[in-house]
This record gives sequence, C-alpha cells and structure tokens, in this order.
Amino acid sequence: MNLLSKIMKQREISIVVLIVVFIAIVGMVNSKFVTGKSLLLLVESAIILLILAVGQSFVLLTREIDVSVGATMGLSAAVCGLLLTSGVSGWVSALAVLAVGVLAGLFNGLGVAYLRIPAIIMTLGTLGILRGFMIILTGGKWIEDIPNYFKKLSGTDFIGLPLPVWIGLVILVAAYLVLRLTKFGRYFYAVGDNADGARLIGIPVSKVRVLAFVLSGLSASVAGLIFVINIGFVPNQTGSGMELQVIAAAVLGGVSLNGGLGTVLGAGLGAIFLTAINSSLIYLKIPAYWNNAISGFLLLVIVISDSRFQSFLANSQFKKKETAEAEGGGQGDEATL
Amino acid sequence: MKLLFRWEGALVIFLILELIFFGLMNPDFLNLTNLIFSMNDYVYIGLAAIPMTYVIITGGIDVSVGSTIGLTSIIIGVLWMNGLNVWLAVLIALLISACAGAVNGTVVATTNVQPLVVTLGTMFLFSGIALVISGGSSASGYEGISGFPDAFVQLANGETFGLPNPILFFFGIMIFFAVMLNLTRFGRQVFLVGINPKSARYSGIRVKSIIIWSYIIAGLGGGVSGLILTSYFSSARSDLGTEAVLPVITAVVLGGTSITGGKGTVVGTGIASIVIGMMQYGLQMMSMTSQETSVVIGFLLIIAVLLRLTNWGLLKKFHTKKAAVKEP
Amino acid sequence: MDDQLLHIRQIYKQFAGNPVLKGVDLTLYKGEVFAIVGGNGAGKSTLMKIITGLYRPDQGQMVVEGSEVLFHQPSDAHKHGIYLVPQEPLIFPNMTIRENVTIGLHENKAECARRIQHYLSVLGWNLDLNRRGLSLSIAEQQLVELLRGLIRNAKILILDEPTSTLTFSEINSLFSTIKKLTSEGLGVFYITHRLTEIFELADTVAVLRDGVISAKGPVRDFTYEKLLEGLMPEKIEVLAPQLERTEAKPSAGQHREPILSVKNLSGYRFQNISFDLYPGEILGIAGVVGAGRTELATSIFGLEPSNSGEIFLDRESIKKYSLRERINRGLVYVPEDRHQHGLFSIASLKMNITSTILPKFRSLFIPFKKEQDIAAQAINSLKVVTTGPSQFISNLSGGNQQKIVLSKYLETGPKVIILDEPTRGIDAGARGDIYKMIDDLKHTGLAVILISSDTEEIVQLSDRVLVMHEGRMTTTIAKEDLTIDSITTAAFGIQKELKTL
Repeated sequence: MNLLSKIMKQREISIVVLIVVFIAIVGMVNSKFVTGKSLLLLVESAIILLILAVGQSFVLLTREIDVSVGATMGLSAAVCGLLLTSGVSGWVSALAVLAVGVLAGLFNGLGVAYLRIPAIIMTLGTLGILRGFMIILTGGKWIEDIPNYFKKLSGTDFIGLPLPVWIGLVILVAAYLVLRLTKFGRYFYAVGDNADGARLIGIPVSKVRVLAFVLSGLSASVAGLIFVINIGFVPNQTGSGMELQVIAAAVLGGVSLNGGLGTVLGAGLGAIFLTAINSSLIYLKIPAYWNNAISGFLLLVIVISDSRFQSFLANSQFKKKETAEAEGGGQGDEATL
Repeated sequence: MKLLFRWEGALVIFLILELIFFGLMNPDFLNLTNLIFSMNDYVYIGLAAIPMTYVIITGGIDVSVGSTIGLTSIIIGVLWMNGLNVWLAVLIALLISACAGAVNGTVVATTNVQPLVVTLGTMFLFSGIALVISGGSSASGYEGISGFPDAFVQLANGETFGLPNPILFFFGIMIFFAVMLNLTRFGRQVFLVGINPKSARYSGIRVKSIIIWSYIIAGLGGGVSGLILTSYFSSARSDLGTEAVLPVITAVVLGGTSITGGKGTVVGTGIASIVIGMMQYGLQMMSMTSQETSVVIGFLLIIAVLLRLTNWGLLKKFHTKKAAVKEP
Repeated sequence: MDDQLLHIRQIYKQFAGNPVLKGVDLTLYKGEVFAIVGGNGAGKSTLMKIITGLYRPDQGQMVVEGSEVLFHQPSDAHKHGIYLVPQEPLIFPNMTIRENVTIGLHENKAECARRIQHYLSVLGWNLDLNRRGLSLSIAEQQLVELLRGLIRNAKILILDEPTSTLTFSEINSLFSTIKKLTSEGLGVFYITHRLTEIFELADTVAVLRDGVISAKGPVRDFTYEKLLEGLMPEKIEVLAPQLERTEAKPSAGQHREPILSVKNLSGYRFQNISFDLYPGEILGIAGVVGAGRTELATSIFGLEPSNSGEIFLDRESIKKYSLRERINRGLVYVPEDRHQHGLFSIASLKMNITSTILPKFRSLFIPFKKEQDIAAQAINSLKVVTTGPSQFISNLSGGNQQKIVLSKYLETGPKVIILDEPTRGIDAGARGDIYKMIDDLKHTGLAVILISSDTEEIVQLSDRVLVMHEGRMTTTIAKEDLTIDSITTAAFGIQKELKTL
C-alpha cells in the first residue's frame, strides 16, 4: 500500500508504469510491437503531441488553458509550406514560423493577462482567427511541393534517433530543467497555485502568464515545422482537433487544470501513452476506429481514479494533521506553563 | 437583469446592422426566402447551444456535445438499417443522447474532476463508440447510411406554415428552454447552483441532481441537433458534429452567458447563433469560404467578451485604481 | 530618533470620491508592538495596504528609517523591510514549506536554508520544511508567512487580525513569537478587534475611526473603557445595545418535551455531545475557535456525516434524513461564513430569500407575485436597508446581507434554528436588530442554538450555555451562573493560569 501510494503520488512514475505495462501486454499478444523499430516509430509519431503538450503545460501550470494550439500549429505549417515552396531558405522559413507561434501566443497572453478575457474564450477566438488565416493564406488548397531537402530532415539520424525526435527531446529536457531548477520556472507554479500570493511577494504575475502563452504558441509552431518535415505536405485540416488531444495528454500525465501541479515530463509521457494506445491497435488486430473509444475510456478511468485517490490522500493527511495538532497544542501548553 | 436585456438588445441591433451591411454589399443577400432557408445550414448549432446554456450557467462546460451529435446520428442510422421503425430508432437514439449527458453529469457532480476534463474524456469515448458502431456495422464513414424513408427526411427538409421545419424546431426549442430557465423552479435552481454551489447546498438545494439534469439536457440538445442534421442530409454519419463544439460554445458565450457560471440567457444564445450563422452566410455571399469566415467569428467572440467585461460605470474607477495599483 | 522605523505623515486616501483616510499620522519604533484597532470600514486595511505598497496614498509622506519612500507595489515595500501577514495567509498549496518561504528570493539555496534554520532555532519552532502547503493548519500557515517576511529581512511586520482563526494554544505561541521578534528589534503593527489582546501584547495603541486616529498612546495609559470610547461613533455603553429582556421562566422547558435532542453525537472534531433543546429557549454554545462547534452544528444539520450517536427532532430520529428533509421538518442552520455559504452574490434579494423554500412553491412555475410579496415582507420586518426586493444582494452592507441570510432560513418556518456567529463582521446597528430578532424568535416559541465567539453576546442572549473545548462538552452553565468569566474559564478548558501571562 505504501509503495503504491508513493507511486501514485509521483504521476510521472505511475504513467511510466502504465506505459510499460501497456506495452508489455500488447507485446504478449503480438511480439512485433516490442521491437526497437516499432517502439522508435511510436516515439516518432508521438513527437508532435509531445511538443504541444510541453508547451501547453506552461499554460496549464499558471491555471489558464490554450485551445488555440491546433490552429497555431496548422497556420505555422501553412506558413512554412508557403515560404518553402516560394523558394525561401529553410532557416529563414523556420524562423518566420517560430515568429508566427510567438505572435499567436503573445496575442493570447495579452488578452488573458491584461484585458482579463477568460482564457478559454480568448483562445477559442484565436483558434477561429488563426484557422481562418490559414485557409485564406493557402486559398483552401493543400501545399504539396515541399522541397526535398526539407522533407529529408525527417530521415536525418544522430546517434540512431531522427532529427524530430531530437528536437522533441531537447525541448522536453530544456523545459523540464527550466521549470525544475530555475527561480523563474518556479514562478509558473506559483502563479497557478495562488496568484494573489504570488503577486504579494513580487512575482510579475501578468508577465508570467503572457510568457506561458508565448511558450505554448512557440511549441505549436515547432510542432507545425515538424509536421511539415514528417509529412511532407500540408493539408487544410492540419492541427485541427489537436487542442483537445493535447489537453488530454497533459491531464493524463498529471498536469492539473487547477494550476500549480504537474510536470512537463508527465505531460510528455501522457502524449506518448495516448500515441501508444493508438499505434498498438494494429498489433492487437483491433480496427483503428476503436482508438477514440479506448483513449476516452482510459482518460476517464485514470482521471477519476486519480481524483478519488487525491481526496483519499487529503483525508488521511487531515487525520494526521489532527493528531499532530493535538500534540502540538499539548506542547504549547507545557511551554507556557 | 437590466444588463442582460441590454446585451440581448445589443445582439439584435448587431444582427440588424449585419443585415444592412451585407444587404448593401450584395442586394441578393436580403432575398427573404434565401435568408430564411440559409438558416437551415446552421440551425443545428443553435439546437445544441441552447441546452448547453444550462450547463455553462451551472459553471460547467460540455465539449462532448459534438460527439453526441455523431453518436445520435449513427445510432438512428444503424438501428433503422437493421430493420427498426425509423421513429423508434429516433426515440432510442435520443434516449441514448440523454444517457450520454447523464454520464457527464454524474461524473462531474460526484467527483472533483473538472467538467472540461470529464467531457473531454467522454468526447473521445462517445465519438469512439459512434465510430465503433459505424465501423462494426460496416457503414462507410464518409458516405454514411442513407436511403431513409421520406417522412424522416421531411422532418428537416419539409415546411410548415411556409417556414422550414428546422427553423420552427429552433424557435420552439428556444422558447421552451427560455421558459424553463426563467420561469420554473428548476431554472431558478440552475442559476443558484451556478452562482454559488455551496450556498445552494446550505439552502437545501439538491446540487448534484441539478447538475446532472443540466448535463442531461445538454446531451439531449446534442441528440436533437444530431437528429435534425441526419434528416437534413438524409444520411447518418458518425462524424457529423465533430466541428460543432467550438461554434456551439461560441454561440453560448456570445449570447451573454458567463463562462464562470451564474449568468446567462437562452434567448441570447439563440440570437447569437443566428448572428454567427448570418455572418457566415453573408461572408460566403462575399465569396469567402465557410472556413475563412472563422477569422471574423473569432474576432467577434473576443470583442464581444471584451465589451461585456468593460463595465462602463467602473471605467472611471479603473482610472483611479490604475494610478494606485499598477501591475508589475 | 535612531530607533524610529516608520513614520507616516498626513496620509489621505479616497476611493471614487469616498474619503477613507483623512490625515493619519503614525510612528513605529524598533522593538515596539503597535496595535491598531477600529471597526469595519474605519480604514485599517486601507492604511495597511498603503504601507505595504498595494495602494498609493493620494497625499502624505512615508518615511522608512529616515528616508522618504514611495511604494508602487508590494515588492517595493519588501525591499524596505515591510512585510504584511494577511488575515488569510496566501500559501502556495502545492509547494513545500521551503519553497513557500524562499520563492522569489535571489539568494542561493544554501544561504536560504541556513537562514531558515537560523530563524527556526531563534523562535524555537519545529516545522518539517518538506510538508506541502495544503497540509498546514491556519496557524502553521501564519508561521510560514512570518518566516517569509523574516527571510526577506523584514524590520516591520504587519499582522492583520492574526488570531481570528487560531485556537487558544496557537494564540499563545504566536504571542510568544511576537515578543521574541520584537526583542530582536523588529517593529510590529498588530491589527485586531479583540481588545483584550491589546493589553496583553501591545506597547502602543491607536484607535482608527472613520479615517482618522481618534485616540493614540502607550497602552498603559489606556483602559478598556477608554479604548471603547475611542471606537464608538457616539457614546454607547457597550459594544452591543442592551436588550430589554422579558424574562422567560428560569426553568423554561422543564415540563415540556425537548424539540431537539442530541444523544452522544460524535463526528469530525467533536465527540460525545449530548443536550436537549426546548421550544422558546436560546441555548448558547460557547468555546474558542476550533473547539468543534461549527462541526457539531453542520453535523446536526446534515451537511457532514456523524459517526455515532443520535439526533431527535420532535422525538423522531433524523439521522437518516437528508439536509432537505431536515429543513422540511423544521431544522435549519444559518452558516457562519456569509459569503461562502450564505449568499448568492449576483442574485436579487428575493432570489436569495426564496432559495430555501423553492420546493414549497409546489408549482412548476415560480409564483413571481408571491415571491415578491414574501421578499417585501421579509425586508420590511427585518428593517433591511435596500432599494427593494430586486436589488442585488452584493450591493448591500454586511449587516443587511446577514439579515437576508437569516430571513431566507426563517422563511422555511423552522422549529429549531442554529445560528453560527450571526453577528460576525457587522456594524453595531445591525447587530442590535439581529439581537432583537433572536429574542423575538424565542418568544414565538422557536428553539434557538446560538454559536458565538463573542462571549458578551452569549451571556446577553442565552438561557443556558453549553461550553465546548477541543471537541468535547466541558460544562453546561445555567442562566443563574452565566457570566463572562464562567464561560471564559470553561471555554479555555483547564488553562486558567495562562491568563496571567
């Protein structure tokens, strides 16, 4: 029991355990799933969701939400595709795309932090705006003639891992370290945990919120870039529906919508878990259309049982506190007597 | 209360301006028959948004409604395809949509998981079930199940008193839910729960049951919306409504319902869905595609909320306050 | 002059044309505990918010240790060594104590840790720094806030009503902490409404009334009466107006059946409570905050489960009934926290008043005419100051809001009404109205349970008092023996000798 509650307390560990158990079960049914190659494929296909989830975590930690990331990703991919097909160099295109993400995030952040528009409304509006921009830019057509050198990036290996995976890992680790170790990283937690308290001790709450949205936008544009690299063309609906998957991944990984709780590592693992469910279906010979039902069911089960566990935890802590208080009270009396 | 009236009034004025603007840009726009029939294309948004207003007033949200639309549609189709009377199929499908709402409501009311997360889960779950039903019955996803009997197709394509049936449905449902929200004891409790759930509990209101019923209503709204869409296209598909979630929530919020709960009107939601639909129709006549119009609608949403948040009386106070508390 | 920490001169502040501070002067010295008392709306919290940089004064000067300052935000005040410990501590629930204390600091971790240890050992506290914020009691949260201030090199600490939610032993340990800190040279502003604390702790006291300081000086020059004099708008004898009490028979209820009977009830934070309540009786429940009184009341009302024991209403066991059914049978509880549990802030008065009796309407539709009448009558009979039943309750003063909360429960036609701190945070006028009302209720045959931390209130109103201490009933005091002293002795349990400290 003790070990179990320790594991449950550390969401990262419990989600790793879940992933491992899941992969093991699928592997028992079909050993092809547990080969290095198919596992690498799993990680590769999870990268976009993972990057988005890392960015979203910053926003969720500050107790806000960003549902515009799918549209930002789509617009970024479209901008990238258009620039590349009109002959702009890869580096310049990439920088322009990142600027798109930053601007989108800035727009959201300023609206939420300074104009006090509820985040869900603000980013819902942005979602519509960016999605519309994308269609206007592309004229509703798919972008197909991405230069080969750019597409080939997906095959570029360093030490056995393709470039997109490296990008994802670097972002994940960097975000983890910033949040974990730097003073500024802790501000994201503080703002989400207790905004008034944060303001009182001099944390620039509004700036932190804006930055969170900028990082989320930035991650979405990186995801858009990787989409172009991986897929090699840009369909109209690129990124649509991603926003809800991203939030699902982050929540699955233990990031709380109430702010101040969770890690990017968890969010990334959540993304991998969601993808693992998706890619395992083939190996289990389950038709692909089962994917949503299974993901949704698992998300509900995990989230509900986690909530039950947390309230159980709070209860037992209360009891501990009660006895501690009684003892503390006794000591206090002795001291004053 | 006055402020809410003002907001609905503002929406109506905006709607009239919209008509004038598009009329000036393109006189064909004001062709009454076309205008009325154009509503058929977006009435399903309002049908889902109106009951959703209840959920948002309680302080919740239901993003699974799009999936409920698809689920209802495919259930009608599959049941009918397997030989059931089409009206019986409709009845069962609507019951199932209510059950879907009940699942949402029960989880929201009895756990402390946020409504967004709960309905996100059921969004995947319901759309998944719809896909499984569709896939299992080997109904092709894109074409769906078609060939419904004429009576069923007429439900959304026919006319009564010279008005298209879906529009009559829309106004009927709007009036029904507006009356229920503003005049009945149930509606009152929905507001009270949304304003302060703890006070509601201390006042002896059965908070959980009010929340569950609100979600059931929202689920049913998705069901009705799915039914009308299925009949309108005379085709049952599991992916009907996948794109509906955001416009539905936009309509509710644009209609003046506070996303934090406690405040809102059904009529506002109804008018807002017409505003959005007319906007799309008008822009399309100005040769924008429906996807491109989302730029305008996105801005509309943000500006509308900004206007609502600006309390003009407070503006003066804000000036003095700004001088005092300047945010870092 | 060297030991002058803070000097403020002629501070003025107004909000939207309402003057809140009208020329306030104060000087705080090293090692001094400076108490500030004042009623609600006297301007205490505005003054403190100016000192901590949350507001800027319209006029006036602030001098910290000899140099004039102008704060734009709280962190400016922190830089000058001014730290406010708010009434409700602003803790980060998901962070550890260590993080809660050190967040926002620029020193390295080792240095921070060293200094935390230093203060812990100086003050003799024993805190596990790895505990999460959400596991802390209010008293512990205050310690964390104090630490936060100290580690930011605070020279001036502002404590805003720190004892309002503490238990007796916690208050004592807080006082000894404050004394240790001032002996190290800190200056402390101590905001309170409990006059006894001033004599126990403070060196200097200032009384704030309507934005000006009405009395100021060393505590030794003050008496209880003199303080009160400074607080009262006009000279009123005691805090609350005396009631013309028509005496009920001293042995009221002895020959009647009890309306409410609680037998060996135990639950979260209370054990083994038994009492009988008779119609036409006011039973006071006294005790310090944290004694388990609210927990007992919410359990009786059905908000919280009870573990063992029985509750009889009209001789019928009601433990099996839901809250709604208990209300229908004539038992109501008027909650202590008006804003959290009593009000529907963005709703009209009538919506608030009828919120408890919606099931009684029985019709599908709300009878709006009837609702209007009910609300108008309630407003009239309770002398609520309002523009009418359609006014939003958030626009009312605290006292009037409390009257509405009371009336919403009275509309249910109760036989037993439990009032939890019915006069907390409301002005003297409304307080008098509410006392009158409670007395009236009693004479119409209602049974009233009155929970209050205001001992005077209990003495004045109750026919019989049950005293709780740490979740247990310590004693029942009959009408004849009812004095402030007898209650205080019982409420503080055995530690009577502590009062000499």
